[in-house]
Amino acid sequence: MFEDIEVGERYESPGRTITEADIVLFAGISGDYNVVHTDAELMKGSIFGERIAHGLLGLSVQSGLITRGMQPYATLAFLGVRWKFKGPIRIGDTIRVRAEVTAKKETSDAGRGVVTHARTIVNQRDEVVQEGEMDLLVERRPA
Amino acid sequence: MSAAVAPARTYFEDVEVDTRHETPALTVTQAHVTLYGSLTGDTVEAAGTAPALLALALSTGLGWRIQRPPLVVLAFMSIDWKIDRPLRIGDTIRSRSRTALKRAMRDGGVVVEEHELVDAHDTVLQHGRFTFLVAKRGAGV
Repeated sequence: MFEDIEVGERYESPGRTITEADIVLFAGISGDYNVVHTDAELMKGSIFGERIAHGLLGLSVQSGLITRGMQPYATLAFLGVRWKFKGPIRIGDTIRVRAEVTAKKETSDAGRGVVTHARTIVNQRDEVVQEGEMDLLVERRPA
Repeated sequence: MSAAVAPARTYFEDVEVDTRHETPALTVTQAHVTLYGSLTGDTVEAAGTAPALLALALSTGLGWRIQRPPLVVLAFMSIDWKIDRPLRIGDTIRSRSRTALKRAMRDGGVVVEEHELVDAHDTVLQHGRFTFLVAKRGAGV
């Protein structure tokens, strides 16, 4: 519930190793077959030297991963995300998510409030590969 | 590595500000939600609805089906995205975009696009801005 969440609270997810299969499946589901994610031979000659994960695969995986590192919120809706893709997620990289509650805002509706998280995806070398903020609409206790 | 006839592609130099595109439409199914949820762990509890980020992923796939030479994206740099309404299983979505600005960099150039994800009734479900790093001509992938 909104009342139980405190600004400054931090959560950390378990790690997850991103595999070739994850990238292939994400291409299949999303329809994003950009060569950057799907052409191993072409990518040998690129600045990355290999295929890399879709940026949005990282964003989507973090959304699932962080729920394994925190008590579930009574989330009513996901409102928005401001997000930077800072570096590639490579096949075999192990990522984890760190989150911090940075703001809480009551709304005109007494039954709900907005909680803002700063979230970071780091790899096995603790390099930030993606980071940003997201806003969640969370249920409030009846007065 | 390069084919005898290279497919046409849109490089930074070819990008024109204020160009608008609209993707084909796609019906979001329970299969999408199940496959996406089992891959990512991103799920929703409310029956009949789909995770918001699934729509975003589907819209990027739809973007590649626009009838124009695809943009040579070197990197997806950032996204600023708002969810206006819940996505429901059975919704038929498509994405409309407008090139908002372009700025040359040393290696490639930055292109900002405004996107709107709409349903079959033209109601906006999600909207925001994508920022890409796009290759200049002769710069490879």
